[in-house]
Amino acid sequence: MELLSGWWDDFFWGSVVVAQVFLASLVLMVIFGLIGAAAKLSGNRIVQKIANGYTVVFRGTPEILVILLLYFGSAITLTWISRLFNPDIKFVDVPPFWAGTVAIALIVGSYATETFRGAFLGVRPGSIEAAKALGMSGLQVFFYIRIPEMWRLALPPFGNHMLSLIKDTALISIIGLNETLFVAKQAIGTTGKPFTMYIVVGLIYLGFSTVITLTVMALERYGNHTVRAR
Amino acid sequence: MISPQPLIRMQNVGKHFGTFQALKGINLDVIKGERIVVCGPSGSGKSTMIRCINRLEKHDEGRILIGDTELTDQIKDLNAVRREIGMVFQSFNLFPHMTILNNLMLAQKLVRKTPKAKARDIAMRYLERVKIPEQADKYPVQLSGGQQQRVAIARALCMKPEVMLFDEPTSALDPEMINEVLEVMVDLAREGMTMICVTHEMGFARSVADRVIFMDAGEIVEEADPETFFKTPQHERTKLFLSQILSH
Repeated sequence: MELLSGWWDDFFWGSVVVAQVFLASLVLMVIFGLIGAAAKLSGNRIVQKIANGYTVVFRGTPEILVILLLYFGSAITLTWISRLFNPDIKFVDVPPFWAGTVAIALIVGSYATETFRGAFLGVRPGSIEAAKALGMSGLQVFFYIRIPEMWRLALPPFGNHMLSLIKDTALISIIGLNETLFVAKQAIGTTGKPFTMYIVVGLIYLGFSTVITLTVMALERYGNHTVRAR
Repeated sequence: MISPQPLIRMQNVGKHFGTFQALKGINLDVIKGERIVVCGPSGSGKSTMIRCINRLEKHDEGRILIGDTELTDQIKDLNAVRREIGMVFQSFNLFPHMTILNNLMLAQKLVRKTPKAKARDIAMRYLERVKIPEQADKYPVQLSGGQQQRVAIARALCMKPEVMLFDEPTSALDPEMINEVLEVMVDLAREGMTMICVTHEMGFARSVADRVIFMDAGEIVEEADPETFFKTPQHERTKLFLSQILSH
């Protein structure tokens, strides 16, 4: 334990960064997933093709590569744009936090696209028809009937997406975000104890994923109490 | 004698699913208080016909009028028409994530804008009429099929509809539960509700129907009062169908 003395607060702040990236990417992931699902379900061929392209690209390329491409790609693009206005600018830096957050949200969002699409199609058409037959408007049917049913269907795979997100946050250390893995690498540099430091990181991530798993289990119990009760 | 203005008027209605013609040349007037039973072999267009009445299916030929309102793509407020037409489905279609009481209250609150307390009173009154008030706080999955279908009927009645459509309401039920649902339907018929029932329950047709309609291949083949329909059917297809369903 004394090995870690002097590094406790670095690991703590690293964990805070992990939590921040997780929460921000969770929100973005849901948005990307809903847009993707809506696009795939839309009647428009071109919109469907774009959404298909999105899921093919982001599900089919290594996650670390997406992070690197997005980080350097956006920096290069922003630099180029800025130079149009001020030729003296040498390089525009993109914050690794946002580049990394958007990257993992896009990756996991591509999986969530399929989850949300499946949940939408999984709602029994009978409930929807019954609601329409009672004179409920399209929006009322959506919010009172479809969303509550979708939520129940989407929850188990959605729990997996959240676990993917939390694990992907470790990848962002490669572009210099000072999260736990980044802290561990620095600590190894001074203490020369890689095993100990990586174990600490592992325990931190296990802690996060346990909280997520328990939360999803509780939500599933709540979501299913109406259909399981006998 | 001037016949009263029909509640539902179908004029030469046709409907296609792709190249398949599900309905052709349907003419049907339903006046207030009339009880109509529709029967026919599966795939004959019975369900499609009544689903066109509340526009769960869109007809593509002819005209359908509900009161004075014609069902077209330009219709301003389809939901205003739908809330006057109650519908009961073969598979009950209760909202699985809501209690029985909330199933009955939801559309009252959202569509009729009934205050919550009053919606609850109405819901409980209809649950008593279908004889299951004690199930109010349960979820649909906790009820038997017969109970679920009675809830579905109560849910439709809570909207105080002008007409009730029944789409094979007993076909998905175990035999011992059919009667509890039919009893509710007979009561409703005796009270003067306008009803169109797609069903093969010929006992029900005999005891309450004003008219029995026989459909085959998307057409109305024969229509008559139950007495005539069962005793002296005119068409060969009707005779064949009746011999098949009445022989056992």
